[in-house]
Amino acid sequence: MTLTFTRREWGLGTLIPVSLLFHIAFYAFCWWLHFFPTIHLPDAPVYYVDVVSLPVASPQAGTPGPPAQSAKEATPPKPRPQASEMKLPAPRSAARPQPSAKPPVSGAKESEQAAREFEERLSRIEKANEARHEAAALAALRSRAAGGTKPVGMPGGTGKEAGSDYASYIRSRLVDAFKTTIAYQSKDPRVIVTLNIDRTGRVTRSRVERSSGDRLFEESVKRAIAKAEKEFRPPPGGGVFEYGFIFSPQGVGKQ
Amino acid sequence: MNRFFLSIFFLGILLLPAWLPAQEKYLEVTAPGNRQLQLSIAAPVALGGGAQADIANEMRDVFQFDMALAGPFAVLQSPVAETRSGIRSGEFDFAVWRAAGADMLIKSGYTVSGQSVTIECRLYDVLTQKELAAKRYNGGRRDLRRMVHTFSDDVMAAVTGIRGPFTSKIAFVTTKSGNKEISLMDYDGHNVLRLTRNGSINLYPDFSPNGRELIFTSYKKRNPDLYRRELFSGTEARVTTYRGTNISGAYAPDGNRIALSMSKDGNAEIYILHKDGKQVARLTHTDAIEVSPAWSPDGTRIAFVSDRLGKPQLFIMDADGKNVRRLTTAGSYNVNPRWSPRGDRIAYCRQVGGGFQIFSLNPDGSDDTQLTSDGSNEHPRWSPDGRFITFSSKRGGREAIYVMRADGSGQVKVSRGNASDSQPVWSPRW
Repeated sequence: MTLTFTRREWGLGTLIPVSLLFHIAFYAFCWWLHFFPTIHLPDAPVYYVDVVSLPVASPQAGTPGPPAQSAKEATPPKPRPQASEMKLPAPRSAARPQPSAKPPVSGAKESEQAAREFEERLSRIEKANEARHEAAALAALRSRAAGGTKPVGMPGGTGKEAGSDYASYIRSRLVDAFKTTIAYQSKDPRVIVTLNIDRTGRVTRSRVERSSGDRLFEESVKRAIAKAEKEFRPPPGGGVFEYGFIFSPQGVGKQ
Repeated sequence: MNRFFLSIFFLGILLLPAWLPAQEKYLEVTAPGNRQLQLSIAAPVALGGGAQADIANEMRDVFQFDMALAGPFAVLQSPVAETRSGIRSGEFDFAVWRAAGADMLIKSGYTVSGQSVTIECRLYDVLTQKELAAKRYNGGRRDLRRMVHTFSDDVMAAVTGIRGPFTSKIAFVTTKSGNKEISLMDYDGHNVLRLTRNGSINLYPDFSPNGRELIFTSYKKRNPDLYRRELFSGTEARVTTYRGTNISGAYAPDGNRIALSMSKDGNAEIYILHKDGKQVARLTHTDAIEVSPAWSPDGTRIAFVSDRLGKPQLFIMDADGKNVRRLTTAGSYNVNPRWSPRGDRIAYCRQVGGGFQIFSLNPDGSDDTQLTSDGSNEHPRWSPDGRFITFSSKRGGREAIYVMRADGSGQVKVSRGNASDSQPVWSPRW
């Protein structure tokens, strides 16, 4: 008797749904990764650039002053070991059990008491350290709020990272200028402009990517850029900054 | 075939990420309001020869009027003391004008040589210190206003991309001679020229698209007939010889046909004639009164007035008379439609209270907007660029010619004298 195995061929009627399901699952996974990244960036201090012309934090915030001073004010002091800090008991070496005349019950009581004392002292030390950390943080906040002549920024910053988003900073300057120049004659003007800002803060290139067809509006955009350029700070990192901006009247037309 | 379509479908799924819009690095920059450009007009200076105050004053007055009406500008009135008062870049200080709050600056100068006048005009952007327009014009003394109007047109072209209408004319009916005659004037009311002198009643003027001819209805043969007049030669020809009314003629955009209302077949209907008078077509066939045809800028549709529903309302039909549909639904008495040269709006009159007011609406009947409210206002006609409307108004007692911006703002009287002026029509650019 021979056993025959019939190999079942999967036709298109089966393969197509399977392939479809696989592709949908794959794209769903990619979509989920995009919107729910597993890697979380560490929380960074948040700086807000007010669109009303208040003094704006320099995008190069963090440029240090005299190293010693900044280190003193910026870095919270490390906790110093307390003199009264009890040293942790040395690890017990494997001791040979020695005959002892003392009964075992009193030895257990001593060890319990020592452990209790150890825990109490440990908790006192931890509380003291927490209090010291809080005080240092408060002191740093107070000095930051007091301002002074030093630029506000990330503690210990090297000046190469931005304390605030540079693109948002440029946008805020453009919004301020655009409020004083906006003029249009069509119903729903929108123009997309790409700006190139060099390391000195100058606009080296202003390219209209999508025209609105309304010359009056586009001239007002150009005037806004020319006006805002006078207040631009150099981009962080010393490189060329390129970004696109969509200009439109507020509340006119669809978003 | 099924496998083919399925293959295309799955190929599309594979390519879907490429079709999805890439994340664009753009930020929105928005601002409220719609600001007018602050425009300063420097006092014209003598570039050569002696200063002539009358020329400087006339130049300044023309610039002031044109730029105040134009729309994009708010003309600054406060004088600016300049230490250097040249008109070319480097001959004056932008800082002085910037301090005065100016966004734009017009600098001009003149040179008089006998009967000839040369003017030089320049437009500057004060913020960027760029010269946006610079022109020099030469002409006789009586051409001075026209030369300044021409630069005003250039200013509008530089700022908005579309030339202004400041060199165009307005034809209108006036009773200055005691009869209703047709006259021609600059759009600002200067240089009035009488066109008809037949001592009869002359009404409903309309320009040809090239501005060289004017059609109008005249009773000089004791019947309201349509006439065509060549403006530069003065030649006049009778277009219609039909008994009954031949009124409200409107030139087609192609310049070869005329739509008008004629009652030769009983009641007033809309007809199309060749400009030599030969009938081309009858467009309406009702027992109602149909008048005031108005062509769309592309010549494919005609708006007109009909009382087929009991009261005069506006209707639209194709240029062959088909597809008639009602345009106005508000108000009980709507007349005098005129299509904007841009094709986006139709101006008309509606009876409101004891008088008329001017409205405008979209060609589909939406966005019906009242433009006037003071006195009784009639007969709206668009400027060649679609930015302005001229109309007649009785707000000052006697009927006079006014102009305003298309949104109803900036209403200003332009006709002069004590006669009754009405039925204005704006010429094309010359």
